[in-house]
Amino acid sequence: MKPKPQTEIVDELNRLMAEEVEAFLRYFQLRYRLRGTDLLIADKFIKAAMEETQEHAAEIAGKIRILGHTPKLDIKLSLGGGPIKLQEALAEALDFERQALDAYREFLPHVAGDPMLEDFIRKQIAVETEHVQEIAMFLE
Amino acid sequence: MSSTYNSVETWKEFEANELTHSAAHHLLAIDEVGAEYGGWARVSDIAKDLAITRGSVSINLRTLKKRGLIVTDEHRMVKLTPKGLEIVHHVKLKKAAFKTFLTDVLGVSVAQAEIDSCKIEHLISHETSDRLAHFMENYKPAKLR
Repeated sequence: MKPKPQTEIVDELNRLMAEEVEAFLRYFQLRYRLRGTDLLIADKFIKAAMEETQEHAAEIAGKIRILGHTPKLDIKLSLGGGPIKLQEALAEALDFERQALDAYREFLPHVAGDPMLEDFIRKQIAVETEHVQEIAMFLE
Repeated sequence: MSSTYNSVETWKEFEANELTHSAAHHLLAIDEVGAEYGGWARVSDIAKDLAITRGSVSINLRTLKKRGLIVTDEHRMVKLTPKGLEIVHHVKLKKAAFKTFLTDVLGVSVAQAEIDSCKIEHLISHETSDRLAHFMENYKPAKLR
């Protein structure tokens, strides 16, 4: 596959960073929509997911800076909703985590051969795959 | 319409609109993006079209799926159902009628008419848009009369 120009790579990294930041905010909101035992069961998992998404966003921002650009966070988000059941919350989480995984997978061929980004994206795919499997397992 | 039907009631009616503006845009994006692929659209393309994240699209699609407006396949590709297609058809008709009215009758620029017709489309009834479309079919600019 023909490598993308660096500006397009940076645009794509900005989009990936936005996915991670949005995922962080969605977990944050979901945590307060869960109640009672549902919250007790999922709280540790959600806190870990919030930390992870935040770390991923920061790592991507770091890569953008290494490429000589400033991260550009473009998100349009308004989160609301009332109490939610654990099953429904996890199904939502599975949806946006799968999208993040797909985004990393689709990006990989464009950074093939790039020593910094290829390794990083491969690592992200591994981590996100594990995360998706974990949520899917919770839902079974 | 009764005299008690005031602006507050009108606003409530707007709030109760069966489809949010955002949902309508998602359906239009699926229609546009999927046009070249037998109606099937990828979430990534819908996200780019709407300039939002894939995560947001996937969450918004959940509501559309529950309402029977879209279907998804095992590859997470998305397609409009006949009900979704019907809504897209109505939205496009309303928008086109208002855009023509704004450009041809009021002389609004095409770019502004595109923005305003999109906003107005969501607020008006099918009856009004049908009447406007009928009016525009018979409308002749003053210079041609």
